[in-house]
Amino acid sequence: MSFRRLFFNLIFVLVSFILQTTVFRTFDLGGVTPNLLMIFAASTAFIKGDKQGLLAGFFCGLLVDIFFGSYLGFFALIYMYICFVVGKLHDIFYTQNLAVPIFIIGLSDFVFGFICYILMFLFRTKFNIGYYMNTVIIPELVYTTLVAIFYYPIILAFNNSIDERELRSEKKFV
Amino acid sequence: MSPIIRRGGDDFTLPSKYLLFILTIVCVGLIVITFNTNIFSGPLNSVAGVFVVPFQKGITAVGTMLKDTTDRLSEITRLIEENEELRAQVDELTISNTNLEQEKYELTELRTLYELDSQYEDYQKTGARIIAKDAGNWYHAFVIDKGSDDGIMPNMNVIAGGGLVGCVTDVGPDWAKVQSIIADNAAVSGMVLSSSDNLIVSGDLELYKQGYLSFSKLVDSADKVRIGDKIVTSNISDKYLPGILIGYISTLDDDANNLTKSGRLSPAVDFEHLNEVLVLLDLKKQAEK
Repeated sequence: MSFRRLFFNLIFVLVSFILQTTVFRTFDLGGVTPNLLMIFAASTAFIKGDKQGLLAGFFCGLLVDIFFGSYLGFFALIYMYICFVVGKLHDIFYTQNLAVPIFIIGLSDFVFGFICYILMFLFRTKFNIGYYMNTVIIPELVYTTLVAIFYYPIILAFNNSIDERELRSEKKFV
Repeated sequence: MSPIIRRGGDDFTLPSKYLLFILTIVCVGLIVITFNTNIFSGPLNSVAGVFVVPFQKGITAVGTMLKDTTDRLSEITRLIEENEELRAQVDELTISNTNLEQEKYELTELRTLYELDSQYEDYQKTGARIIAKDAGNWYHAFVIDKGSDDGIMPNMNVIAGGGLVGCVTDVGPDWAKVQSIIADNAAVSGMVLSSSDNLIVSGDLELYKQGYLSFSKLVDSADKVRIGDKIVTSNISDKYLPGILIGYISTLDDDANNLTKSGRLSPAVDFEHLNEVLVLLDLKKQAEK
């Protein structure tokens, strides 16, 4: 992993987190904000494969943990595993087509919401899953997917330009 | 980039499943450690604060401004209609106001009785602005723009508009995390002001969307508690200073055991439009000295 890639990924994580907690909090729909960090982590996993994906997921989750988690490592673990699975799809699908990644990002956000419900609510005997589905998980999924349509191409473009640059610098020495 | 370094980079290919395994152990370790201690919170909070908090401060300010302007435009038409209605209401209210004037006399008498007024004034306060809200949609934590540099410590109480908002759970140099009482994982020991009966107020995501908190374990054998009664923080709470207004009872039901009561209360604070809060600089233990 080159320094440039590291730098851009760091910037992306920070920007996603800051936007998610500030701007999108102000412009929330029905009290729900899109999960930009999940979009970024899942996109990275989808574009670059499982290893980069699980690293991206780990650091995204860690940032959430530092600021909003009760225990360090809780969200990091969830993000990491989801991105690892998404990264496995990297070998199967093309990254250029927009429909597949958007669908996968939506799916991973749904899984994330569902795991959160199970770990944080179901275990505290709050069984009304229909309610939580309708007010949190599904709206978040829809909003996240909508934002992903615009956010994913940006991430893809950055990754492609870095790939190209790396390829060029490699060729120089061959 | 020299070829030697690149070959070195190529050799270092840890298969992703091992990486996943290692990081899983790291995460579980961190969870266990932070569950039992809080040794990481200091340094990590400072590092994260340096990168994130300044941006959050700036963007929140701009975001609120944008939101305000768009809201203003869309609300002008609505306001014109509302204005007419309100004028009619003013007439009604003037009449009821005179009635209330009389009741106010009674209220001041009751206030001095409970010394609520003096208690609020006794506490040292500092104002703070909310700069970020929870990244997820499950809980209601937020970040304020003051931290340990301004004398804020964990477990300090946070109020707004005369009502209880929550308490500080985590502090960085120039930011602090506040857990609000409406969060699904929060619980406050409260007390009915009129009868001094203790109860537990707990946040509930399901009820909150309807604008309520839930309370339980109210022992009211004399059957004196009524709908509309004030609930304040109790004397026996371990974190919250006594006598801070939480809300008003809106429904009251007998529990199945016939000993305790539970129900809903409407919070005194408008959590949807919270921008600035006051942090009480007194901690519970000091105040009880």
